[in-house]
Amino acid sequence: MSDLLVELSANALFRQAIKNLGLPLPTPQKLRRPKGDWVERPLQDRAVIVGAGPNGALDATLAATLPAAGADPHLVTVGGAPAAWIEAGEAFGRPPRVHAPGEAPEDVRAHGLVFDATGLADADDLRALYDFFHPWLGRLATNGRVIVLGRPPETQTRADAAGAQAALGGFTRSVAKEIGRKGATAHVIYVAPGACDRLPPLLRFVLSDRAAFLTGQPWHVGTDASLPPGTKPLRPLDGRTVMVTGAARGIGAATARSLARCGAHVVCLDRPGDEGPLSQVVRDVEGTMLSVDITAADAPQVIADALIGDFDGVDGVVHNAGITRDKTLARMSPEWWDQAVAVNLGAVMKINARLLDGVLADQGRIVCLSSVAGIAGNAGQTNYAASKAGLVGYVKALARAVADRDITVNAVAPGFIETRLTAAMPAVTREVARRLSALGQGGEPRDVAELLTFLVTPQAAGITGQVIRACGGMFIGA
Amino acid sequence: MAARTPKAPRRAVIVAGARTPFVKAFKEFLKLDTIALGTAAVGALLERYAVPREAIDGIVWGGVILPSAAPNVGREIALDLKLPPSVEAMTVTRACASGLQAITLAAAAIERGEADVMIAGGSDSTSNAELKMPQKVVHAMAPIVMGGKATAGDYLGALGKLAPFTDILPKAPKIAERSTGEVMGEAAEKMARRNEVGRAEQDAFAVRSHHRAAAAIASGRFADEVVPVTTPNGQRIFADTMVRADTSVEALARLRPVFAKNGTLTAGNSSPLTDGGAAVLLMSEEKARSLGYTPLAAFRSWSYVGVDPADQLLMGPALAMPEALERAGLTLADVDLVDMHEAFAAQVLSILKMLESDAFARARLGRERAIGAVDPDKLNVHGGSVAIGHPFGATGARMVTTMANELHLTGKRIALLGICAAGGLGAGAVLERID
Repeated sequence: MSDLLVELSANALFRQAIKNLGLPLPTPQKLRRPKGDWVERPLQDRAVIVGAGPNGALDATLAATLPAAGADPHLVTVGGAPAAWIEAGEAFGRPPRVHAPGEAPEDVRAHGLVFDATGLADADDLRALYDFFHPWLGRLATNGRVIVLGRPPETQTRADAAGAQAALGGFTRSVAKEIGRKGATAHVIYVAPGACDRLPPLLRFVLSDRAAFLTGQPWHVGTDASLPPGTKPLRPLDGRTVMVTGAARGIGAATARSLARCGAHVVCLDRPGDEGPLSQVVRDVEGTMLSVDITAADAPQVIADALIGDFDGVDGVVHNAGITRDKTLARMSPEWWDQAVAVNLGAVMKINARLLDGVLADQGRIVCLSSVAGIAGNAGQTNYAASKAGLVGYVKALARAVADRDITVNAVAPGFIETRLTAAMPAVTREVARRLSALGQGGEPRDVAELLTFLVTPQAAGITGQVIRACGGMFIGA
Repeated sequence: MAARTPKAPRRAVIVAGARTPFVKAFKEFLKLDTIALGTAAVGALLERYAVPREAIDGIVWGGVILPSAAPNVGREIALDLKLPPSVEAMTVTRACASGLQAITLAAAAIERGEADVMIAGGSDSTSNAELKMPQKVVHAMAPIVMGGKATAGDYLGALGKLAPFTDILPKAPKIAERSTGEVMGEAAEKMARRNEVGRAEQDAFAVRSHHRAAAAIASGRFADEVVPVTTPNGQRIFADTMVRADTSVEALARLRPVFAKNGTLTAGNSSPLTDGGAAVLLMSEEKARSLGYTPLAAFRSWSYVGVDPADQLLMGPALAMPEALERAGLTLADVDLVDMHEAFAAQVLSILKMLESDAFARARLGRERAIGAVDPDKLNVHGGSVAIGHPFGATGARMVTTMANELHLTGKRIALLGICAAGGLGAGAVLERID
């Protein structure tokens, strides 16, 4: 499904014409998406501007991460570059360039603006945010990234500090809306004390083109699951088996392909009757086909038997299968209620319960597909919204329960994604839904697939019990 | 029962080396192709050192621009020199490390007991690089050329497939990476920037390379290694033609950057396109002594590495040289001579920075400490590729010859070699004098 406005807006003349004529037409920036496999240096030759507020705790982590990822570091600081940056510069041929606070030379096109706000402790400290971002935001490149690093407010003992850290969320969401028309995105990452070794993989991901459609997102990096040693930036899923439900088309098919590119053997599950498109995906990813109705009473056992029989278990599960049965509650039949809740929530719970009993490996990954619209609530979607909101509470609780096995459990909430489902919407509704977001456009199935794939990798250990939106900064939703 | 003393392993030794003068491409050697240049080098080596032809087991040859009609250059050399048909040959390519690759393969064959006497080296004639017919033309013409009787319709069909015609002109050869499309000079320019190597530093290095090479020529030191070549039109070339004794930092500073607008790489601090060939005679130590030769040196170790060409294309030696040292059980303090291929002054200076950086060693080599700073007085004592020139396949054999002779002549003990190569490859080797 192509988006005419995005295509037209790629033309400089068109953008200029819209601007000069003062037409109230949005000109969404075409998003830069990754070309292929995961790479060692996702930020190759891109300038990343790094600054810190008082008592920032993550400078060494950033120095160890950004040059190795290919970024050319620019430090906003008084005095010279810290030793950690000089060392990294020598090691990776990325010597840091230093800028005085308040200066943002015109020759620098910033791909990323990264600010370490972990030490901000009261309202006065928040001024550091303004001081860093104010001169640089104008230098942010199209498809650039703004990253604010903080501490989880709930880990702060002082109320003032908790307030300052919580402020980062509102700041970032607003920045996301200001820079969205450039295709640029903003994130706040709350790094728990002791979790800084889990930060680098997430930083690499959100700064890369793989996170093109994610914005305004708070992330929490915690210590619940330990980081397996020796994670690899290339083909991180080599030797791992991952099951994707609803893999025949849309987000599920894109996820199967993305997982396979990272080296995973993908078990593609869909319901009986969809073997045609499913087998196409299976051929593409050289995976395994599993034709099962996930709501059948014996489905959890059938799936477990298949995974144990063929693969000795599974390392990751993506619960993508979902259905809508839309009717206002007054008119809804009990069958429709049951079907939506059974597929979207019940089957997920039952299958996980069975897989957690000796089928899903330790350090395994579970990701469930929620929905921004579902959580926000929609007339005619009581059944759908109940099931999708249910997943939010479910992943939070389950994450705690399996943390001792280093298993992570998360939910992903897509916003407006160009799929068969959204193509069938009335044209005007569809157009409004696309534009009501920071990026002013819908996402592609692969945008969600990239996020799901990241969450399945071993290096995503720091993220569990969370709901991550892949929504382009949609204005609605909880 | 008395314990058996383990037999000393067979050792391959370098007995001698010879090379043609290195000549600017498209000049005096225009009519000598890769095979002719190789034949000139090997022929002179055999003649100068009176090698018994029937004793030769084989030739390992290195080349980068291989003639498509006869890619096994080594075998063509053997046949052109009328060596006994039993002298088998192979030809290898590992970009600019091809010559060294050929020599270490020959050494390995000797040390495995497969051979006693080997000729190894390499040659390249940039002047005779073939212009490629685009694949599109080849594929479109296939039915006509291969299909027996072609009809007018076939010709018309082939023509139709060729449109648009702009991309069917033969392509000029270009030293560009296939994977990234980056020209090698651009990659070196990037390395200069990323490792903070300035123009003045590069020019000073280049001038030193010229002055040292000029001194080696003037003193007669290279006369041991360089053999005169007579071209098909009767011209006799005695010495390398590109070395400038009179160049200076001021002269080089006037040159314009060639790879980037505000760049630092110029024709003066980069190695030029060159034609030439070089050959090395290797034997098992026993055989050398039984034939009455004086072994000069032997390999104590070697190492070949690969890095991502999209990162720092020519940084390979920064990994390979420490690895070769480690395999040899030596440290930089044990090394008396260091010889590095100078693709660009910027590349050598970048690698020197990496070799002395502990941060680099920790992040890229998994070593606590760097091997250390290379003493400029030990580095490229007779100049390098910037001054002498760089016929791709020949450079490794030139370096091995010069270092083996240098160890023998000076009585020094250890030489460390480093070569960077296209494709993100790197080579390192440790040579040891034989008493």
